[in-house]
Amino acid sequence: MDSDCTLQTAETLLQPWAEGYDHPEPNRLDVQVTAANLKSAVQELVKAHWGYLSAITGLDHPAPGEAEGEDQAGSSSSLPVEGTLEALYHFCCSSVWTTLRVNVPYSRPVIPSICDIIPSATLYERELMELFGVELPGTPSLQRLVLPDDWPDGVYPLRKSFTGFESPTPP
Amino acid sequence: MEAHESKKFVVPIGPQHPALKEPGHFEFSVDGETVTDASLRLGFVHRGIEKATEGRTWVQNLYLLERICGICSDVHGTAYSIGVEKLAGVTVPPRAQAIRTIVAELERIHSHMLWLGVAAHEGGFDTLFMFSWRDRETVMDLLESISGNRVNYSVNLLGGVKFDIDEKQAGEIRRGLDYLEERTRHYMKVVTTDETFLGRTRGVGLMSKQQAELLGAVGPTARASGVERDVRVESPYLSYGEFPVNIMLETAGDLQARFVVRINELFETYRLIREILDHMPSGELTTRMPRRIPEGETISRAEAPRGELFYFIKSNGSDKPERIKVRTPSLCNWGSVISMAVGHKLADMPMLLVGIDPCFSCNDR
Amino acid sequence: MYNIPALVAILVFPSGIFLLAYGLFYEWVDRKLVARYQNRLGPRWFQPLADILKLLAKEEIVPQGVQTMLFVGLPVVGLAGALTSALYVPMFGLEPSFSFNGDLIVTLYLLSMMTLCLGLAGANTVDRFSLIGATRTLTQLFSYEAPFLLALLGPAIVTGSWQIRQINDYAHHHLWMALPQVIGFVVALVGLMGKLEMPPFDAPEAETEIVSGALTEYSGRGLALFRIGKDVELVIGLTLISSFYLGGLANPLEFIVKTLGLLVVIAGLQSLFARLRIDQTVGLWWRIGAIMALVQLLVMVGIRMVL
Repeated sequence: MDSDCTLQTAETLLQPWAEGYDHPEPNRLDVQVTAANLKSAVQELVKAHWGYLSAITGLDHPAPGEAEGEDQAGSSSSLPVEGTLEALYHFCCSSVWTTLRVNVPYSRPVIPSICDIIPSATLYERELMELFGVELPGTPSLQRLVLPDDWPDGVYPLRKSFTGFESPTPP
Repeated sequence: MEAHESKKFVVPIGPQHPALKEPGHFEFSVDGETVTDASLRLGFVHRGIEKATEGRTWVQNLYLLERICGICSDVHGTAYSIGVEKLAGVTVPPRAQAIRTIVAELERIHSHMLWLGVAAHEGGFDTLFMFSWRDRETVMDLLESISGNRVNYSVNLLGGVKFDIDEKQAGEIRRGLDYLEERTRHYMKVVTTDETFLGRTRGVGLMSKQQAELLGAVGPTARASGVERDVRVESPYLSYGEFPVNIMLETAGDLQARFVVRINELFETYRLIREILDHMPSGELTTRMPRRIPEGETISRAEAPRGELFYFIKSNGSDKPERIKVRTPSLCNWGSVISMAVGHKLADMPMLLVGIDPCFSCNDR
Repeated sequence: MYNIPALVAILVFPSGIFLLAYGLFYEWVDRKLVARYQNRLGPRWFQPLADILKLLAKEEIVPQGVQTMLFVGLPVVGLAGALTSALYVPMFGLEPSFSFNGDLIVTLYLLSMMTLCLGLAGANTVDRFSLIGATRTLTQLFSYEAPFLLALLGPAIVTGSWQIRQINDYAHHHLWMALPQVIGFVVALVGLMGKLEMPPFDAPEAETEIVSGALTEYSGRGLALFRIGKDVELVIGLTLISSFYLGGLANPLEFIVKTLGLLVVIAGLQSLFARLRIDQTVGLWWRIGAIMALVQLLVMVGIRMVL
């Protein structure tokens, strides 16, 4: 690893685009970025050889009242809060983690693809697309990864709102 | 590409094919015997496990996640338990850590021997296949004597382990390891000196260090190209802090290097297990775990026989998880296969596929 | 023995039923030996017979897009060729039923017919695995055929005759030709393994790459006939080699002992090596096999001219 594997270095690298920092655990750094700044942030980490992309996690934050789960994102005001989808890009360098967190609303779930910077991200992005319904313009392959070919379009299993089909889907 | 459509001859491998032990679909476009293009379709064993975890309690999930894969079931349970214990702020007693490490390493032995046999079979070397699987029975018997099961040992509990290893079992383990070590030396000799075998593995599937880093390879596949990635060394978990592991690297980056790395890891594992057995800490086997895990998110990693296993666990304070994300090592290594495949002969395809030690059940979850 | 009526010779002994049964017996020996080398138990004595009976009882499915007559007829033709060649070799240590000058060449061609039928059968099927298997079969045919022929020619030159019966007699009365012609012996033995597509030369039917090669789409009767054909070829090949190189076959006991001895060696060679890729096979045969056989031939010709 060319760059110093510390959270300090990562913080400094990502400063121009960070909307907020968080240290949930001693060896982890969470950085909030907007979808627009994602690619620049990723580019910065890759250029400095800070670790490698380990995984892309998707999280579903439905609006309160739509699901039983507690809503982590969003404010607590009385305004109707729209549900969001969150994508976490986990970068691992030796034993420390930097996670870029991108929140996008249900109505416009678009996050730019990072496959031109990191080609191996295509598999993770395919999964994000088919299980959560996030659109990733620029991703090289739109093929399904784990869902069968005849899975109905527009149904995203890992969203909280999906609780299964009423009857078994016809083969 | 349209001009070449008529010349392209697509050989499908899978989902049902004698080369694959699990279903997956590959399409190789060949020109004579040379592969010109490759594409991959996974998902035949997708069971929706990540969604299923959200409706089950923390304890039930342990049993569910162990069944993602048969060969690396223990490491899934370990990574999950470590993560949940971190969230709950619970420290597992040292004896339990040691036992977990021993079982994880025994699983590594079993997995590598299985892989050796399967790889030999793909290369048409059935004799090595039969011999290595016969020796693998030794490990299976050891695991059965510890846990009662040859596969899916289910040693982990949230907060500790279920079974103890007493003196008699420790003696059995030592004897088994002695036998296996002698056999492994023989396999090392075969893999590095047998002419026909070398003809199938040397220079095949070359991946340089830069390519490995760029493609995001993990595990023995990456270590065979000289990339130093090993979770047990980078961020030690369980007992790897007190009993450190030496990282095994090769620089050649071809199929033969992958064989050599895995066999070297076997030797390292034998040494490690003996060391732990000699210095086994005494104490409790479990500690109390709360039923509701406090809110939070955590990342836990483990070194599966195939590479880095990644768990992202998010709790919302109830007795059921909010989200568990599993990223298995085989998923990282697929990119390397697809890009390596072009330019090789069709006959090398099965060996290339098996060189990364694919586990389709892990991929698809 | 010329007083066996032709019909009996073809249907019962030495060809026909006897040869089929004997072929199954040798298949069992081969499988059992390979299994024991690999530390397994191996099949019981009636396993090959059970396999053939089972296959004969299954429905034969003719895939779409193939020439039906070819599909059904090729296994029959291949087996017929192999069975016919038994009439000219000293089967079971007894004199060949029919013998004429030049029957060595005819026998070799009859044996090759089996491989050709295999290649054609694969090419006939539209399935891509079969096509690749057929290509490999024919490629392999081109590689080992020349050295194999040359290796069998050595004893013929020493005897000064193209007639198998005479070569057999000559071998019986002289020193075992395996000793002065070691190279030829080795090439012939390994060539036989190539002809029968035994490991390490089983690239044409590499199970882990192309399912079953040329025979992928075959089932039922066609598959059974091809398999029996291979077994028959095994027996004939062993007979030829032991007759030429191991001092001739004059009686049934010698036949059994010598051919079984060769079979043990072949089974050992099968277990020792990983499968060679088809390009490695071709390279091996054309570079090493052909040159070795040529060297042997030149040596023999030279000696004959000198003596």
